[in-house]
Order: sequence, then C-alpha cells, then structure tokens
Amino acid sequence: MTTISAPPTDVGTPVPAPRRPRPGGTRGRGSGRFVFLCLLPALVLFVVFMIVPTVNVFRTSLYAWSGFSPDPRFVGFENFARLLDDQQFIRAFQNTVALLVVVTVVTMGVALFLAAVMTRQRMRGRTFYRFVLYVPSVLSVVVIAAIFSAVYDQENGLINGTLQALSLENLEQVWLGDQQIVLYSVAFAMVWQSIGYYMVLYMSSMSVVPEELYEAAALDGASSVTQFFTITLPLIWQNLRTTLTFFIMSAVNLSFVLVVALTGGGPDGSSEVLLSYMYKQAYTNSTYGYGMAIGVVIFVFSFLVSLLVSRTTRREPLQF
Amino acid sequence: MMKRTLVLASAAVAALGLVAGCSTGGDSGSGGTLGVAALEGGYGRDMYTKVIEAFEAAHPDVDVELRISKSIEDEISPNMKAGRFPDVVVLGQGRKAALTETLVKDKALEDLTPVLDTTIPGEDTTVGDKLIDGIVGNLNTNPYGTDQTYLMPMYYAPTGLFYNKGLFAQQGWEVPATWDEMFALGDTAKARGIALFTYPTAGYLDSFFFSLLADVGGEDFYNDVMTYQEGVWQTDEAQQVLDITTRLLDYAAPATVGYANEQDFTKNQQLILDNKALFMPNGTWIVGEMADAPRADGFQWGLTPLPAVSEGGDRYITTSVESAWIPSGAENKDTAKEFLAFLYSDEAAAIFAEANAIQPIKGIADTLSGENAEFYQVYEDPAVSPLVGGFASTAPVPGVDIKATLFDTANSIISGDKTKAQWQSALHDASEQLRQAGA
Repeated sequence: MTTISAPPTDVGTPVPAPRRPRPGGTRGRGSGRFVFLCLLPALVLFVVFMIVPTVNVFRTSLYAWSGFSPDPRFVGFENFARLLDDQQFIRAFQNTVALLVVVTVVTMGVALFLAAVMTRQRMRGRTFYRFVLYVPSVLSVVVIAAIFSAVYDQENGLINGTLQALSLENLEQVWLGDQQIVLYSVAFAMVWQSIGYYMVLYMSSMSVVPEELYEAAALDGASSVTQFFTITLPLIWQNLRTTLTFFIMSAVNLSFVLVVALTGGGPDGSSEVLLSYMYKQAYTNSTYGYGMAIGVVIFVFSFLVSLLVSRTTRREPLQF
Repeated sequence: MMKRTLVLASAAVAALGLVAGCSTGGDSGSGGTLGVAALEGGYGRDMYTKVIEAFEAAHPDVDVELRISKSIEDEISPNMKAGRFPDVVVLGQGRKAALTETLVKDKALEDLTPVLDTTIPGEDTTVGDKLIDGIVGNLNTNPYGTDQTYLMPMYYAPTGLFYNKGLFAQQGWEVPATWDEMFALGDTAKARGIALFTYPTAGYLDSFFFSLLADVGGEDFYNDVMTYQEGVWQTDEAQQVLDITTRLLDYAAPATVGYANEQDFTKNQQLILDNKALFMPNGTWIVGEMADAPRADGFQWGLTPLPAVSEGGDRYITTSVESAWIPSGAENKDTAKEFLAFLYSDEAAAIFAEANAIQPIKGIADTLSGENAEFYQVYEDPAVSPLVGGFASTAPVPGVDIKATLFDTANSIISGDKTKAQWQSALHDASEQLRQAGA
C-alpha cells in the first residue's frame, strides 16, 4: 500500500542498509505522506459509508431495539437463536437459495448459449438481437414489475392469453397467486432482466478468443459443440468466475426489489426472500435488532457462497 | 513545508465538510419555529398549506416549517434516529414503515391529554368538547389502554363492505342484514356468475375482522382479542369468527388471490365495478382511487356494515382514524400543542373538509355532500356502532406479526394451502407471545 520503507531493525548493523534503488527517481518520506493525503478523502468516505455502517449492523444485531428508543437492550445472540425457530425466516432463506440456484443456472446457461451463437455463427441481424436482449437490463425494476404483472395476469395476460388462443386452457396457471408457482414466476422475471447483461459480458470475452484456434480445431474436425467446450469455455473461464459473484449479489438484491414491487412477498409469505423479510422485521414489526441479525446472516451467507464459488471454480488461467 | 501544510489543511477541510454534510438538515431549534411533518395522503397537500397560513396569521411570532411527502417516514426517520424530531407529526397507523406504531411501542410520544382540555384558539369550547363521543379513549388514541391520550384523532372515515348499489337495484336484491341472508345471496349471485366477495389485498381484511370480532362477541370480546387475553383465540367466539370468515372466503372470486398483491390489487377492485363480485372491504378513498376506471352501467358506490350475526344483532363499523402526535423528543412542545388545538378550530375544519378530510367534530356530517354524505350516513343507523382501535401495542416480538397472521392467511385459506385449524393455532401462538411480551 504505502511506499514508506521500514527503519532497519538489525541492531548489529551500525550503518543503515542502502536503500533499494528506485527506477522512478527518489521518493522519500514526503512523497509517502503525499500519497497518503491523496488517499485520505477516499479512505474517509470508505470508512464513514462502508466500514462504520457494516460494523453497526453487526453490533445492532446483538440488541433488542426498535430503531428509535434511546435505550437498546443488549441480548447477546438471542436474535440469532430466535431465527432458527422462525418458520417465516426459514422459508425466506429457502426461497433465496432456490432463486440463487435457479436464476444462476438458467441465466448463465442461456446467456452463454446466446453469446456463443451470436459470436461464432454469422447470424443475420445479430446486432439487433443483442440490442433487444440488452434492453431489459436498463429498465427500472418497477417497470419490470409492471411488465410482468401484465405478462402473468391470470385472465388476459400474455401467457394465459396465448394459452387460450392455442386452446391449451388446461395449462393456464394463476402465476402470481399459486404458492407453488409464484417463486418461479419471480425467477423468470429475474432471468429475463439479467440475461442480456451477461450475454454482452460473455460476448465481449468470446470475441477476443483468436480465430486461428477455431480454424485449427475445425481442420481437425471438431464440431461447434466440441469447439465451445474445449476452446471457448476454458478461455473465458476467468470471466465466468467473476459473473458468478455477480449472480450471488443479484439473487440477493434484485430479488428483493422485484418481490417488493411484484408480489409484496405474498401470497401469505410464499415469495418472501431474505431482504424483504429483513425489511418487514426491521421496520414494519419494529424489531430493528432482529432485522439486523437477518442482515448479518445475509452478509455471512453471501460472503461464504462467494468464497465457496471462487474456491471451487479456481483453475490455472489459460493464455492465448 | 508551506505547501504540505496547505495540502494537509485542505484535506482536513474536505474531510470535515464530509462529516458536516451528513449532519445538516435538522431544524435550527430556535424558538418560534415549529416543525410539522405530514403524510401526503389522498387529501392532497394544499389543505395543510392553507391551515398553516391561517395558524401563522393568528400567531405572527411562530414560523411553521411544513414537511409533507407520500413517504414522510423515510424523510423524517433518519433525523429522528439522530435525535432531531419534528414537533408535530400527522401520520396514522397501519403504514408499511409503521413509524407511529414503533414510537408507540417505544413510549416515545408526548402525553396529549392536556390538549383535550385546551380551549381552541379564538373559540370558547375545548378540544375535548368538540370531538364526537367515543372517538378518544380507545386503543387508537390511548394506545396503552390507560386514561392518557397520546394520539389525537385527525380524520375519520368509515370502512366496511363496498358494493354497487345500481346492481342491487337492477336485480331487485336487498343488501343482506344477517350472515344467513349474505350466504343465500352468495348462492343466488353465483348462479348468475357473480362472486359474493373479494378483497384488494389481504391487508384490507383489517376492518372486516375488527367489525366481525365485535359483531360476534361484543366490544368486550373485541378488546380481549386486541389486548391478547389468554386463550382468546380458543374461545367459541373466535371459532365462530373464523367459521364465518372461511365460509365467506369459499365465496371469494376465483381471481382474488392472484391479484391480491401490490401490482394488481386494483384489478380486484375492478371486479366490483364490472359486476363480477358483489362486496369488498375498503375505505371511502376508493371513490377517488377508482374515479377513472371503467364501470358497469348504472354503477353507484354503496357502503354497508358487515351483516349481523343474528337477526337484530349488533353491527359495528370499523372507523379508520388518522392521528396527529408529538414525539417526546420534540423541542417546541407548547407551541406544538397550541398548533394541535388549532387544527380543531372551525376555520381549520372547514379547510380540511373542503379537501374531503373529515375530522371527528360534532355536527360535521351534516355539512357533507355527495357520496361522502352517503357514506357518513352509516353512523346514523342506531343498530350500528362505530368501532375504533386496533391491536394493542406491546414490546415488539421478533418474528411475530399478528396482523400478518390474521389477514394474510386468508390467501392460503382460499388456495387451500392452510386449514382453519392451522390458522387458529397460529393466531393463538402469536397472541400468546405478544401477551407475554406485555402491554
């Protein structure tokens, strides 16, 4: 971080060890301080707006506090112990994990497929497709909720309307009213929203893979599918790893905004996710400390999953 | 050296500015400035501006700063957490952010009992004398069940079952006076493809349940439920309430649950306008909310209390009352109390009534016109009593929200995901936990 060199600790040496020659001229103590001062504003911002609130979340989770009263009561880990018995919390946790898995697998699979098709196959009008698929990622979640409210409408929505037109009435569902289906309805909206973004990310990394590799493979008789798995995938692996972390964050954050705007956690809590349940507990139910305990669980959970994903997907980076 | 000091100084200034930037925005605290925060509800914001102008005209030494917003909680609570409180807040209970409830639970409100004995500025009656009987002294105004009033009742409105009067006239149907008649009507309507019942979202069942509890077991039983008396959900009365409700939910429009969310609830309300459902629990704001929606020919809004449990039985109409209060942390409490008293003056009441915000002041119902006059008529029926209140405040219990348990489960009852027995036992558990948390 800093360039200040440590003072010599070797007492036996009477003369200070000669400084390492620096290629960029001599940077002494003064310039070290200057660097520090330049970093200071950003550091202060980071501490005030990131470190302090995070520490506060952890601290508050150990108190029984409504959020306003001047005397929070210290309860130790009681909030966390309660979480284990809270059926609604467990359901919200399950829903979050389900969304995490379903949305990640589907989005990643489809985005990779589309990206590969668009970069490798000389498809006509691919710029147009790319544009159309990217549009949802710039829409506000409230707009997306409104769109999907129209898509899922049980009477004349896009899905049920199409099924009626095809005389497939027996496939019609109450997409937002059936407790077994509603979570997948939310998941589909999330996939729809994020697919374009990841597709563009994958396309950009695929487009830098040298053409010669594919030519050589083609000469050896490798099919497109083999080329994809043996050339494309290994070469964009680092990019995939990064996006996996994005998936975890978006599954936690995006699901909250979408659930709040689309279903409100309903019917009867069946589409509740961790963050929406945290909001309800921290504010609506006036148990701020308990809400923050849920916040800590979310923090630790996202952190662990990211770490796990990062560890299990670690490969020697391939160069071309 | 000079340069370095300069850099250091500017960095310090930048850092200080940062910290200072976070802490501005509070009121100056100087005498004579009154901070008023109000929710911008369906009544609009103009009425507050006008009332404040009138107050300032009468009190030239006071400068009132109004903060008004559709999400006023989000704007004032960060400052409140930092210890800077507005002097007067006009904000009811039952909002998602639950700011009023939180302060009630925290015992962080100023005792407003003295305001009731205050003579209204420029008039010779006291606030207490001017208010309609029974509007204070209930859990809505005296949340701890004591004689102390902490929340002043600001606007009141009847909530009950809304229906299309025109349809009843066309079909020659009577508005049912008992539950037996109600269910008979449900069968008749079903034969014509009309559902008996729907609700916008399950949260709208609050007025329904409060009235039904009182209809079945009288006001004492209602209060027992609201104050979490031991085993109250295992009584015969509670059983009967859940019996009637589950039977009614059997008659619910099939679309109800699918539309009972933030995005689609107006589609459930539209069922009434389209003659696809007969009744829904709602409030008087529905007229304005659905003003631009298409409707069946001859449509006319009607409001009825819940049917009586038996012929000639008591009927209660849940009355929603919005509140004004003073946080204990407010700085100008005396001026704030004077302002509160002024809100009940004839001058202020006229301004509020013009915006359809009806205050619980004696004789005000006679001055109303149009649909409002019709709705407030429901108080004229001697067999119908107003019911105010809501669940008593306890220390908050993590993970326990009895309102959600009581209302939201209706969705699961309709869809068959939960049974009546599960509902009853969940209510019992929640009620017991809240009772142990203590009022």
